Amino acid sequence: MSIALRGVGKQFGEFAAVGNIDLDVPTGALIALLGPSGCGKTTLLRIIAGLEIPDEGQVLFDGRDATSWPIRARNVGFVFQHYALFRHMSVFENVAFGLKVKPRRERLSSTKITEKVQSLLDLVQLGWAGDRYPAQLSGGQRQRVALARALAVGPDVLLLDEPFGALDSQVRHELRRWLRRLHDELHFTSIFVTHDQQEAIEVADTIVVLNRGRIEQCGVPSEVYDLPTSAFVHRFLGQVNELPVSLRDGRAFIGPIDISESTDVSATAPKSIALVRPHEIEIGPEESGWPAVVVAVRVIGPIVRLELCAEGQPAHEPLEAEISRERYEYVNYSVGQKVGLHFRRWQVYPANGAAA
Amino acid sequence: MASAEPRRLTRPGQPARVLLIGTALVFLGLFLLLPLLAVFTQALAKGVSAYLTAIADPMAWAAIKLTLIVAAIAVPLNLVFGVAAAWAIAKFEFRGKNTLITLIDLPFAVSPVIAGLVFILLFGSHGWFGGILREHHIKVVFAVPGIVLATIFVTFPFIARELIPVMQSQGREDEETALSLGATGWQTFWRVTLPNIKWGLLYGVLLCNARAMGEFGAVSVVSGHIRGLTNTMPLHVEILYNEYNYTAAFAVASLLALLALLTLAGKSLLEWRQPELRRAVGPARDRTARRKE
Repeated sequence: MSIALRGVGKQFGEFAAVGNIDLDVPTGALIALLGPSGCGKTTLLRIIAGLEIPDEGQVLFDGRDATSWPIRARNVGFVFQHYALFRHMSVFENVAFGLKVKPRRERLSSTKITEKVQSLLDLVQLGWAGDRYPAQLSGGQRQRVALARALAVGPDVLLLDEPFGALDSQVRHELRRWLRRLHDELHFTSIFVTHDQQEAIEVADTIVVLNRGRIEQCGVPSEVYDLPTSAFVHRFLGQVNELPVSLRDGRAFIGPIDISESTDVSATAPKSIALVRPHEIEIGPEESGWPAVVVAVRVIGPIVRLELCAEGQPAHEPLEAEISRERYEYVNYSVGQKVGLHFRRWQVYPANGAAA
Repeated sequence: MASAEPRRLTRPGQPARVLLIGTALVFLGLFLLLPLLAVFTQALAKGVSAYLTAIADPMAWAAIKLTLIVAAIAVPLNLVFGVAAAWAIAKFEFRGKNTLITLIDLPFAVSPVIAGLVFILLFGSHGWFGGILREHHIKVVFAVPGIVLATIFVTFPFIARELIPVMQSQGREDEETALSLGATGWQTFWRVTLPNIKWGLLYGVLLCNARAMGEFGAVSVVSGHIRGLTNTMPLHVEILYNEYNYTAAFAVASLLALLALLTLAGKSLLEWRQPELRRAVGPARDRTARRKE
């Protein structure tokens, strides 16, 4: 089922949770709503689910106006961050719930229900846990039960509200991959909410970045990561170094580096900043580039993070650079060493827009 | 290691522990067990046959019956009210919510005697609705309806108060999940909400029932003390006592005490038979703690 939002807005008292949202989710897509807390991503998901009614705008399901449809009529599966399993029911009963509350003429026979529940439990690799109670399961297992329960009613759309937020990183990683596989196998439309850019990039086909109740950017993960349209998106999707851009004699500079060749100087605001990701900094010998001193070295598995104090930059705001382990072992930087910096890529934004 | 740690921590507090437990026990003994014992001793002071005669007295029977009838009307009504109020407060946002919470506590705050007087003022022969009631030959004050009204008023916070924190800590997610799975509102209430709150509800009902049977002040004002007609057990006890009929007074009092003991025993039994109760508290608290992060 395809979903479309047209000019959707929602206020909570004085607070505008989301405003003027237009979004198209094609059938079978896996979309991430990404943003910091309070950006309205959960409100948007709840509006799609029918758990909130928007104050303005329309929600379309397959082109039909579903704005005022009750939750029950929408055929959506909703998965909460904290699972919301029914504590007084066994795992089996939890998964069977949606099948058992159907009106009598639509309900499957009890043997059919048992079969279906068992196959769903097998699908989420919990075939053995039917008799257990939620309190007896780990967080990852509970979330899989919640997924199986949502899938039991054969939803057209699966909505997940920070589904892996309460899990530790190992389990989270496994579940992300598993969700992606499940989505590819079952072909429903999925929308999930996350504040974790890594998660969004890893799992989703399309990322919708939200900020203060508005859509900042919408695109495939690589596009959003590599070509952010605003400083906010650039900052939110990974680490960045912020450097002031100075304009002198019709040319633009980051520190001593002339960037006029690749920058539209005439369009650059007098107060601008350049955002550079850690892996976009190239470290060379002292004589070349922007002189800097290595102030810290940290080996993190396959990458090495260096903190660099560039000449003319405040000492308490060192730049962060990332190089591969191999490169590090070849050159072997040490604290106090003098180096020269180059930037492989950067993007310039007006400084006042930076706060937004 | 893990088990040794807390023991070492509590050891310096050992005298304090003994002192606290001792104080609690002495206090309980003096103010609860001793009077309870006194009631039963006094009731049986003239032998079992005197006790039975006192209870078998038609007036005593009428009081017992009236007490049971009043409780049987007041408790279910407050059950419905309590669930509805707790549901509204815990699961919805609306204007005047805090006022409603304060109002629910009102019967705790005002003296039961005043509660009784309010009903006299409203429904008494010179009260606001007195004229209308007289025209239709309906008797509220100094009759059973008045007693029921006063009892409902005095006992209505019990169930709501017990349920509000339970429902608030559970949030709305379970209900929202049930609805998204296609359950109707009614199915959601019976299959999800009610099982989640059943222990709080049961405890509230027990407390409400105990108070409904034991209420004296408010009922005393509206009852009119008509023997065999508008005397509840607590009122009957007072009358007998004022007539220096100690054995009979304490015999009826012992029945009331017995009802209270049975209520408590019932509650303990339920808790003991349902280890799930303790388990159920865990995840709920866990969940709220996380939500506050």
